[in-house]
Amino acid sequence: MLNAILVTLVIGALLGLILGIASKVFEVKEDPRLAKVTEMLPGYNCGGCGFAGCSSMAAALVNQDVSTTSHCKPCKKEQRLAIVQYLNETPGPNGELCKVKD
Amino acid sequence: MGELLTLFLSTVLIDNIILSHFLGMCPFMGVSKNRSSALGMGFAVLFVIVGASIFTFGLYHLVLVNFGLEYLELITFILVIACFVQFTELFLKKFSPALYKSLGIFLPLITTNCAVLYVALDNITNNYSFVETLVNSVGVSVGFMLVLYIFSTIRERLDVSKPLKSFVGNPLALITAGLMALAFSGLAGLI
Repeated sequence: MLNAILVTLVIGALLGLILGIASKVFEVKEDPRLAKVTEMLPGYNCGGCGFAGCSSMAAALVNQDVSTTSHCKPCKKEQRLAIVQYLNETPGPNGELCKVKD
Repeated sequence: MGELLTLFLSTVLIDNIILSHFLGMCPFMGVSKNRSSALGMGFAVLFVIVGASIFTFGLYHLVLVNFGLEYLELITFILVIACFVQFTELFLKKFSPALYKSLGIFLPLITTNCAVLYVALDNITNNYSFVETLVNSVGVSVGFMLVLYIFSTIRERLDVSKPLKSFVGNPLALITAGLMALAFSGLAGLI
């Protein structure tokens, strides 16, 4: 029993270590707004907006492919306004603001 | 040598993972809409299956057997597979963003691709040696890639044809898959 727990623990820890190192080695510089907007969306990945998932919708918003948050159906009014406010106030890496409305 | 060749050919053609075991159907339907992403998926699965098979083989025979913990194979194999998929995802995101984008949600879903776990467990239950494990896992993934690629070319051709309206898209794809399985079952007597 103790063996089983230890072995699983060691394997898990080793794999976690490998992944941790890999994520540092293969790090990709991303627009920090992307992660933030993805987090602010409901995260159901329902596809109701016409994109593949919430992160694709967030990318479209940040890249100005869409200019309104109303595509997101499960979003509540306050959530949509929060995203609009965030994007209109936070400049991207090149210092430009996104023009987004509700 | 002859036995290894037989094993390879039978896993690629006769015991094809998709068309005769019906495993890995999710990416088979999901990423077969165009050829380039089908090939990309094939290579990602090849990497994951071969890597996970080698790793799980070592894990099982060097660690689990020594500790008498063979019953842990399922959970530890899943751990290894999940780790490999995550690694592939990080790797692709860095070196091939276009492929990363075209695979989309199906890339993390390789974790739940039962073909990967099947190969890892199959190697253990059949008591394969290391070389046989290697041949079996390469064979299964080549078979997966082959069928996925053929299917994607057929679907690309079907896109420009005009079937009955009710058959457009997935229904026709399912019928195609069924006919492919039939065609592949014709190879059953080959070896």
